[in-house]
Amino acid sequence: MRGKAAWTERIVDAGAVPAAFVPAASGGRSDVEEIAGAELVEEERVAVHAVAPGGGPATVSFLDGIQRWAVVGYDGVVPIVRGYVAAAARRRGADRRLRVAREAARELAVAPLALLRAGVRRALEESGAAVIDLGAEAAGQPGRLLVAAQQAVNAERVRVETEVAEAVAARLGAEEWLVVDGLLSESAKLAGHPRALGVIKSHSAQYFEGADLQTALTCPGGTRTSVFRPRGRARHEVYSWYLRLWPWEGNDLLFGLLRIEARAHAGTVATATGVSSWLLAERAPLATPDARFDRLLYPIHDVETYLRSRAPRDLLLTAGSRLPKTGT
Amino acid sequence: MIDRASPASPPVGRVVATELKPATPYQFHFWTAQETTVGIGAIVRVEEQSKGNGEGGRVVYGVVTDAFAYSDLATPLHDVIGAEGDPARAAEAPTVRQEIRLWTAAVLRQIPEEPLQPVPLGRVLVASDADVAQALRMDAYLTGAAPTGIPIGLYTSGGLESPVYLDADFLLGPEAAHLNISGVSGLATKTSAVEFLLASIFQHFPVHKGKIAAVCFNVKGPDLCFLDQAGTLSDEDRRRYERLGVAPRAFERVRYYAPFKADGVNLNTLRTHPDLAPTVEPLVWGLAEVLDYAEVLLNRDDIDAKADAFIDFLSDRVLNRDFEDGFGGTHRVQSFADLDRLFRAIIGGLEDAGRSDMWRTHHIATIRKVRNRLSNISTRCKGLVADDGQSSDLPWGAFADRTAYIVDLANVDPLGQDLVFARVVSKLREHLERRDLGVEAVVVFVDELNKYAPADGPDTYVKKMLLDISERGRYLGLVLFAAEQFRSQVHRRVVGNAGTQVFGRMDMDELATPGYQVLSPATKIKLATLPIGELMIRHPHFTQPIFVRFPRPAALRGRDGVERFPPAADLPFAEAVVRQLVRLDRGVRPNLVKDLIADRDEVDVRRALAAVRRARPDDVTAYLRKALGSRVAVDAPRARPVVPPLNPISEEPY
Repeated sequence: MRGKAAWTERIVDAGAVPAAFVPAASGGRSDVEEIAGAELVEEERVAVHAVAPGGGPATVSFLDGIQRWAVVGYDGVVPIVRGYVAAAARRRGADRRLRVAREAARELAVAPLALLRAGVRRALEESGAAVIDLGAEAAGQPGRLLVAAQQAVNAERVRVETEVAEAVAARLGAEEWLVVDGLLSESAKLAGHPRALGVIKSHSAQYFEGADLQTALTCPGGTRTSVFRPRGRARHEVYSWYLRLWPWEGNDLLFGLLRIEARAHAGTVATATGVSSWLLAERAPLATPDARFDRLLYPIHDVETYLRSRAPRDLLLTAGSRLPKTGT
Repeated sequence: MIDRASPASPPVGRVVATELKPATPYQFHFWTAQETTVGIGAIVRVEEQSKGNGEGGRVVYGVVTDAFAYSDLATPLHDVIGAEGDPARAAEAPTVRQEIRLWTAAVLRQIPEEPLQPVPLGRVLVASDADVAQALRMDAYLTGAAPTGIPIGLYTSGGLESPVYLDADFLLGPEAAHLNISGVSGLATKTSAVEFLLASIFQHFPVHKGKIAAVCFNVKGPDLCFLDQAGTLSDEDRRRYERLGVAPRAFERVRYYAPFKADGVNLNTLRTHPDLAPTVEPLVWGLAEVLDYAEVLLNRDDIDAKADAFIDFLSDRVLNRDFEDGFGGTHRVQSFADLDRLFRAIIGGLEDAGRSDMWRTHHIATIRKVRNRLSNISTRCKGLVADDGQSSDLPWGAFADRTAYIVDLANVDPLGQDLVFARVVSKLREHLERRDLGVEAVVVFVDELNKYAPADGPDTYVKKMLLDISERGRYLGLVLFAAEQFRSQVHRRVVGNAGTQVFGRMDMDELATPGYQVLSPATKIKLATLPIGELMIRHPHFTQPIFVRFPRPAALRGRDGVERFPPAADLPFAEAVVRQLVRLDRGVRPNLVKDLIADRDEVDVRRALAAVRRARPDDVTAYLRKALGSRVAVDAPRARPVVPPLNPISEEPY
């Protein structure tokens, strides 16, 4: 990692002011924050179906990605961001152990190149990292640039995840499934794959209103809702349903609630209960100590742990990282 | 036998270090895959990554002493929640949690040795043959002009079988010496281990170190009674022998000694099968042999200057001299019988004279006590101690190279065992000091050491002697191989001076004693469950204990020997005498001997037999006839008058 990080020193040599600030990392790909709407494809009104934990396919690959970013310098008031994105798919076979099937990682240098001095810009371009130009339109207050930089890193992570997921999906065995942490509808290849699932833990988007909303969000533990087609999405069409892993009573309304995405196909409706059944079985092992254990499937947690263990250590927020630097 | 061309193997682990579990110059931690051949006692090699300047990195050898496994489970409660309280469901979880196999290893050796540094966080490989030799510093004594390696067993781990050698200079002197082996009865294979090691020593003792012999005291059953007979070996055992470079054969030169039974003619041993009995020599001592070690016979209450002085007086002034008792009698004391006559004369004389309780400055109570103790030994050890003064002993001064001398004391009274042990070891020491034993080094094997040198209890003569051997024997070439069930119950200085320590399967209670604090809990568990044929070795060259396997001894095991050569029943007196004589001369005619000894007093016959045995004449029958002397008719015992009770109230005689 020292070699890769050296460009951050070179931009400082070139005149950038050194900095060390690691914002909280992304919690993963979240649901779109919009009021969407839905079209029921299984029943007239949202209904709840009991699901019992059951066996799943013999081989399943689980995919997740991570991102890290840090401001490593300022050229004037222009922040220069170092980013790292990675994604991996880990395949679970008959021995119930997870092993890496495919992975990709990318080191990023993010900055509005046009606003940098020539020397700093040259150092950045020669860094060996993938340079992402924020463009002059993001210029202004450093805070706005940071938001833009975060979005750029986020988009890059989605890109890497999609690359890995599509590559894995293309090579799935006849009985093998792919479970993606997050939206399936980001990719046409994934959205159309008969054995790909998206598991969404955040519920910013609203698909129902009134009684249907209440039915969907208060479904008891060990149940699923009717299958519906989410609307208002700019990307690719999928079918979806809610699945409650754990009872929410006594916790939060969204405790243990997942939204599943699958191919927009009549077969999905037929298999929704079966798929829910084996996803329900994924409650064990518990994905602790992650605070999202109620919605985080253990294999996804495992992929995330794997990716974190391989991420550059200097991009982790440490207690002493913001202490003033002394001469020694 | 060390394979120095082992192919490079892939790494099996990687050293990890955290602030809480750092790598140090003496200990490190590494992880492996869950399916691994590494286990407690495995030797591993750590390679530091090359510095890229052409220099090889530091290499560290370690032995695994502890192991840990854990998963990413934050708390056991989370497993309960995940399984919804049903243990059966916990096993049905679709994904197996991430687990770690984390091992702790103690450093055996670092190369380079200086400067001594923490173990590098490098890759871990299982040790090869050559690595084992390096790790255990065996390269120092297996190579060079005068190698001194003695095979002790095979280090086995992950399909590897590497011979492990002890350094003869540190096993048999002069640098260090002695071996102590402990373990539970029946499962620790202590006797088998010593038998194998003796065979290994006899085959590998370096010629430049001179001649060596072994004196083994057989103190229980038939353990060592068939060392000259070949036992049954499996193909696996033969392969191990070949790997160790030891020929799988019974001992070629063994001499057996056993005292007689109380009848004075049948040997007190289980090696009495007609095919083997002729190879057992009688061990018989007279008064002179016993008196030198009379201290052995005295217990703590008896040990006082007066008794000691009186025994010295008997040895110096009375034994084998014409001696006047002061009451008009002259004695020449050569046997217990002569001595008892002297005692009777003295005590009777004092009582008759009524003049004093003192005889030549010795109080009558002291005289009575010494008489009591000496009479006691001749009674309790009747077959070992001859009343008549004749002795049959080990071949002092003519010990042969690579020969085992087995002294069978299994059925001898404990007092007699102490006496034999004390005298034999003392004689060995005397001859080794004078360099006239016939060999330069002698291994003395003693089982049940906790009986002879207990951690607590009185300071007996035997215990003091064992302490002396263990502390000074290595300079003389007198080497103690001792075995016991509970090491904690043996005197600390005796076990502490053993340069090589061997452990078979141990009792958990024993392992809980302070002497085993240096061992990790995992090593203790391994010791408590050690399979037959596996041992843990500590040796001065090995910085950590090493586990080895040894093959079954090639000699016939005691209990198998008893089945193959069932002991013969005691022979009638005349038959036993004939057998003794036939052993000396196969031409002896049994009927003629029986006629010669018919109607003769058994004491006279035993005396004559001892004379023949000592003289080993060409014509045994003629010598016996001469030794028996002229026939003297035995008087029939005179009937004693019986006085009836005055008032015969009942039939009860008391």
